[in-house]
Amino acid sequence: MKLLLICLLVITGTLSAQTGDSGNTKSPTKIFGTVKGEKDSLIEGANIVIEGTIDGATTDEKGNYEFETEQAGSKNIIITAIGYAENIMMIEIESGKEMNVNIKLTKDEVKTEEILVTASSYTSGTNAAVTLTPLEIVRIPGADADLYRAITTFPGSNQVNEGSRITVRGGDPDEVLTVLDLASLYNPFIFDETFNVSSYSTINPWGLKGINFTSGGFSAKYGNVLSAVLDLKSYDMPQGSGMFAWVGLANASLSGVYLSRDGKFGGSFSAGKLFLQPYLAINGEYSEYSPIPESNQIGGTLSYKLGTSSNLKAYANYSDDKVGIRNQSPSFDGFYESSSNSYFGNVKLITGLDNSTVLNAGISISKYDRDYSYGLIKSDQKDIYAKGRVDITKQINNKIELNTGLEYEYDGYDLTGIFPQYQYNIRPGAQSFGIDTAQNSGRAGIYAETQIKPSDDFFVIPGIRTDYHTLSGKFSFDPRLSFGYRLSEHNIVRGALGYYHQYPGIENYLRAEENDLDAQNAIHYILGYEFNSGGDILFRVEGYYKDYSNLVLTNPVNFLYTSEGEGNVKGVDMFFKVKIKNKFTGWISYAYTDSKRKQYEATKLVPANYDITNNLSVVGSYNATEQLVLGAAFRVSTGKPYTPVIASEFVKLQEAYKPIYAEINSGRFPTYTTLDMNAQYIFSLFGKFAVGVIAVNNVFNKKNLYNYTYNVDYSQRIETYSNNRRSFYAGLGLQL
Amino acid sequence: MKQNLVKLLVVIMMIMITGIANSRDDFEDAMLKARKSLTEASEKNDEALLKKARGQFERILQLKKDPWLVNYYIALADYSLSMTGSASNDTKTVKQYTESGISTLQKSIDLKPDFVESYILMKALNFNRWQYEQEKMQEIISATSAADVEASKLEPENPRYVLLNGISSYYTPESFGGGMNNAIPNLEKSIDLFSKRKEKSELYPEWGKDLAYGYLAMALVKRNDDGDMTKAKDMIDEGIKLFPSSGFISEYVMSEYKKSQSK
Repeated sequence: MKLLLICLLVITGTLSAQTGDSGNTKSPTKIFGTVKGEKDSLIEGANIVIEGTIDGATTDEKGNYEFETEQAGSKNIIITAIGYAENIMMIEIESGKEMNVNIKLTKDEVKTEEILVTASSYTSGTNAAVTLTPLEIVRIPGADADLYRAITTFPGSNQVNEGSRITVRGGDPDEVLTVLDLASLYNPFIFDETFNVSSYSTINPWGLKGINFTSGGFSAKYGNVLSAVLDLKSYDMPQGSGMFAWVGLANASLSGVYLSRDGKFGGSFSAGKLFLQPYLAINGEYSEYSPIPESNQIGGTLSYKLGTSSNLKAYANYSDDKVGIRNQSPSFDGFYESSSNSYFGNVKLITGLDNSTVLNAGISISKYDRDYSYGLIKSDQKDIYAKGRVDITKQINNKIELNTGLEYEYDGYDLTGIFPQYQYNIRPGAQSFGIDTAQNSGRAGIYAETQIKPSDDFFVIPGIRTDYHTLSGKFSFDPRLSFGYRLSEHNIVRGALGYYHQYPGIENYLRAEENDLDAQNAIHYILGYEFNSGGDILFRVEGYYKDYSNLVLTNPVNFLYTSEGEGNVKGVDMFFKVKIKNKFTGWISYAYTDSKRKQYEATKLVPANYDITNNLSVVGSYNATEQLVLGAAFRVSTGKPYTPVIASEFVKLQEAYKPIYAEINSGRFPTYTTLDMNAQYIFSLFGKFAVGVIAVNNVFNKKNLYNYTYNVDYSQRIETYSNNRRSFYAGLGLQL
Repeated sequence: MKQNLVKLLVVIMMIMITGIANSRDDFEDAMLKARKSLTEASEKNDEALLKKARGQFERILQLKKDPWLVNYYIALADYSLSMTGSASNDTKTVKQYTESGISTLQKSIDLKPDFVESYILMKALNFNRWQYEQEKMQEIISATSAADVEASKLEPENPRYVLLNGISSYYTPESFGGGMNNAIPNLEKSIDLFSKRKEKSELYPEWGKDLAYGYLAMALVKRNDDGDMTKAKDMIDEGIKLFPSSGFISEYVMSEYKKSQSK
């Protein structure tokens, strides 16, 4: 009997153990209701569960749910649904009764990255506000797979002479800074500043993991730049191993990447050659060349992963170019001959100092040699830049991030050559003078900025930087502020204001008294609105005003440079981008600019050299099949200003005519238009991946003006057209 | 009396053992039920049922046991749901469930980095990204390659890994290294590996065998070399025999086969 009692006790105990919270468990309760989102939208697939149990249900297509539970008393129910924030509610379950529990969920948007895009920025990367991708760069018709040319399809930027140099919001090309992995790139081009030969960039867009182009209001970490920043970040490690060869009508290249099996070591190389003979044979020569433009490029990277959060990377690149092109000017008709070579090297270290602190450090050196001759002019210019930089990012908490850093940059300039005594007479044998000069300068800069994000809908970035210029002995001081506010789910307002300084190019100090030139100053005011549907539709409109001071200006008495120049620019940028599934991507960008400067020889405010009043680009790319992509791009813009010649006088001593100019930049070139088209076809060749490209640039063969020149006595104006007429290009790429 | 007592004790012991076993099996029972729901929903390719199955796994997370495995199944349900979007060309759905799947699966990998099935699924989920963000080509290649390297390191002969390589070749143009001649050997090998496989735990994933039969049949139909059509029909028949409720084989694959025959 005793044993029986023990057994009964055991049974009772066991049953109790099985039911767990026996005190709270009663007869079943039916819980039902509806789960709704914002604006009472019904949510299908939401999950409702009583915390700590598996009692719950999933909503049907009408948002309804229903389940039974034996739980009783105060219980938390957890409600989750993809795309919505988790909701936890406490309910009082009365045993055996039916309970109607209706639930409301709010959207859980990924807001952080999207909102943190600053004003005037066009970026690539992983967030929803991406406006530019490497794939688009290589597919934009007319961009010739060139990053800079691609950027000119965005509002606010324009091509210089149809090449890769860009100007931004009416500024000069040298007011745009390119940064690659902390290093400043001053000459990432071939055929830079060469008469009527388009320049091309030497940067491979596929090697970039991040592209951030900011046409104003940029961060305090960028110093010594007045107008815009193109900040490029390359991959710390190659993304795999392989080789690729390209042969086209005008160029050939071979590139390769290697990643070790353990992912700790990687390297890449690229080599390319430009040869225009076949291209010109098919498309015709619109100028006389001797030699025909030619160029070589070779470069590579080595990367080593030092630890889980440390990486060391070295990058080197060499390029050269050579061209002779016939040009007729009033005092000389002959070949403009130019050659250049450029070296660039950079070593970058990234390492985590602790869980919330990252250090980036880099040193770089670049050397650019350029010779050109035309008539009596013979110029040999050498530039050397070296830079060291350290940046530290510290995540204080999830709302505050601190960025600080310092940099030192060396700039060496060497010019030798023969130049005309009078600009209007470059005939060989005319009066000339020799130059053999060298100058160098240093600049030290330090900055700090704080990214404050009080909520997911608002950020503000106050920053400050100061720079010291060793040659002039002048300081500059730049307070800056950037902010963004989300008005509603898809609507964002952004703005920026601040001081931006840039010291004049070192060659300007040669014409200044005791190197007394201040840093040129621009105050940026920017306010913009953005609608972003989450990636498929993006619309931006932005208004800006920039107030310039301390621009370089010629003293009319002694012809020395001073810092008395001034100017302003106002404008509106508009950008509309649409993506329809994976079939179509296109955008329309429009910019209105009114840029006036009193600079260099101007005696009053006149249109700036690159005051392009209206600029419209329409770009589209259509995936006709999985293998065939078709693209078209149309651009139209106001012609750039120029200074007309209104008369001339014969100078007997020089045996040449001297032009008499109208007011600076009082004339305008005709409207510029071009339509470019391309097609890319992916197929298999010898069992390997292959891509074929055909492109027709300037489809309607529009004769866009490059420059005006004149006959000997300036009585007749002669139009020099751009050589970028209708042209056909074909190329074939093959994976090896 | 003594005999009766002994009988009673036996009964009590049985009740106790059953009770203890039941309390220990709450998680396993729930997992097996949820997996059955997921398998049935996947076979029917029914979005509503897939969402319900996903919900079952989400609720199991509350038991706080092996969350890495539960999260794996949630991600698997997400993958199946993304495929329903894919079938109806609804890129919004593909994106929604692919992104949810990737983030959920990452939680699983963080908790158990040596579970090969997670990397196989991660590769499949990242492959889905082609459907809605082709422009992020490099990131996708990087993510799929990373998952592939881990999976091949952990278990290169996993039938689902081999199956996925076969499916990947099936959808990839020959010019990108895919094509039917690359797909077929992988799909055949996958079927062979499935037939020899015994999972370490009954809770481990068992999906994929029906897909191997179906895709092999479709790859043979596409290649359509001498004898391929007959072999494709054999694969369909065998698949239907083994998986009578698989809508994928009996409806989708069969219709592809019939379409090809009518040409």
